[in-house]
Amino acid sequence: MTVESEAGVPAAPTAGSSTGRLQRFGRALPALPGLAVLVFLFLVPMAIMFVFSFWKTNNDFVAVPDWNLGNYARFFVEGTYLRTFIKTLIMAALVTTTALAIGLPFAYFLVRYTGKLTQRVILLAVIVPFWTSYLVRVYAWQAILGEHGALNQILQAIGVIKVPLDIFNYDDPGVFVVLTYIYFPFALLALYASLEKFDFTQLNAAQDLGARPDQAFRHILLPQIRAGIITACIFVFIPILGEFLTPTLVGGAQSSLIANLVLNFLRNDQFAEGAALAIIIAAFVTAIMIVFRKSFRVEDVVTSG
Amino acid sequence: MPVSRFARQTRWSLIVLTGAMLVFLYLPIAFLILFSFEDAATPGLPITGLTIHWYQVLASDSAIQNALLTSIEVAVVVTIIASIVGTMVAFPLVRGGVRGAGVLRLLFTLPIMIPGFLIGIGLLIFFRQGLHPLVDVQLGLYTVVAGHLVFTIPFVVLIVASRLQGFDRRLEWASADLGASPMRTLRHIVLPLIAPAILAGALLCVTLSIDEFVITFFLIGPQQTLPLYIYTQIKFGVTPEVNAIATVILLVSLLTVALGSLLLTGRRRLLRRPR
Repeated sequence: MTVESEAGVPAAPTAGSSTGRLQRFGRALPALPGLAVLVFLFLVPMAIMFVFSFWKTNNDFVAVPDWNLGNYARFFVEGTYLRTFIKTLIMAALVTTTALAIGLPFAYFLVRYTGKLTQRVILLAVIVPFWTSYLVRVYAWQAILGEHGALNQILQAIGVIKVPLDIFNYDDPGVFVVLTYIYFPFALLALYASLEKFDFTQLNAAQDLGARPDQAFRHILLPQIRAGIITACIFVFIPILGEFLTPTLVGGAQSSLIANLVLNFLRNDQFAEGAALAIIIAAFVTAIMIVFRKSFRVEDVVTSG
Repeated sequence: MPVSRFARQTRWSLIVLTGAMLVFLYLPIAFLILFSFEDAATPGLPITGLTIHWYQVLASDSAIQNALLTSIEVAVVVTIIASIVGTMVAFPLVRGGVRGAGVLRLLFTLPIMIPGFLIGIGLLIFFRQGLHPLVDVQLGLYTVVAGHLVFTIPFVVLIVASRLQGFDRRLEWASADLGASPMRTLRHIVLPLIAPAILAGALLCVTLSIDEFVITFFLIGPQQTLPLYIYTQIKFGVTPEVNAIATVILLVSLLTVALGSLLLTGRRRLLRRPR
């Protein structure tokens, strides 16, 4: 057995030769059905949506090739869209910051202070609910935040308030709490995966060499868990850009996020207008993923636990 | 254990934070379950009495049962296709020798990252108007299955690929040396060894598909899947029955996911390449 095959790399076929090309094609063959699904049901629809965003919806609610930039111009001219979009970004940023602020010490605690078994149990306890019904988990908050929900009832019972509060139900703070609840597990998983690989004796070494704890944290720990932090941010930030259910169920008329506005267009069968707004969201998502593609690990979140 | 003057305080504040977060994560679930057993017709505190009435209502409600059957039907079709297709994709992705493997890898992570909302409206526009010049597609279970495939296949690919990565290829070479054909090696050596990953992927597909709301919301026709049925119920006003069905869904998917997780970790050691 040669050294190469020992390392698990079979000799590559000579590039360019016809047998090499054939072999290569043969090896790629099993990917074709999956590739076909993604091309026809994902890439092509996205492309069509992009094209539609430059069209117009006629009076029969059909998108017609009347090329224009009006759908995009509306986004910048009519204040509602830009305002809601910025609000969505702020909401996403707030939730991301909160998830990081709690997730980092949480993950640190797991890695540093608990044994292997406790670690697994707590991780599982966090992960398992997040694979379960998204709708049910959002809905479950109505029992707490609703007008007759537990929060209001308890506050009234102990005499803190006299009339049911609205700030959590039918308002942004409620949306914020529920979004944090929904997306926190993503952040924790990504942070845990990167902290688990970190060798903490390095921190002691840095302090032995005269670094203050905060310096050791900034110059030794932070650079090495950077990828985990970025993955956590992306996994919380991006899905919130497409959130419409949480504002619908626990928010009110005032707490619409950008996805709710897209939905309004679709309800009226204004596909071209809706497409443009959706493309703006998609462009944002794509830009974030391209900028951070190097330090971003889906596997850490999907396959751990 | 880190050594510091503040070690004790640090430790306790971390324990409190972690504990509080766990409570936060389970609080709504706890209330949901509690309210599903509540006597009153409008669920809320204080609890006046406990009953299993709402579960009995569930058991005799044909609308819910039909919705459940529809969900299962969709999930079965999605799981079968996604498990097979996804496993097939994982091989060239991991084994290399394929041009553009990097692009392929990116393409198969995109649907996991992109909000389901975008996948849903993309497909809605595609089916309703994009395909219109060619065929007249009616929204229904087929379109829902199509939507679910887009995001379940990538999950299977990721899970199987990550197990395939740790696969000791010398087992395959040994099998070939002993005269087994590639198909025989695949059947008797490779597939049995990655079977736990495939099964875990399939279980994940089942839960993801049954629980899926966002994409289904856009692509469903006249029928209703269970999450869609629950959604309409919630929109019309909360009934305790919804709490009961939500509790059942939650518990069933908790069990499935826990099982899948055990499958993945239990056999991991076997697959790790010896050093």
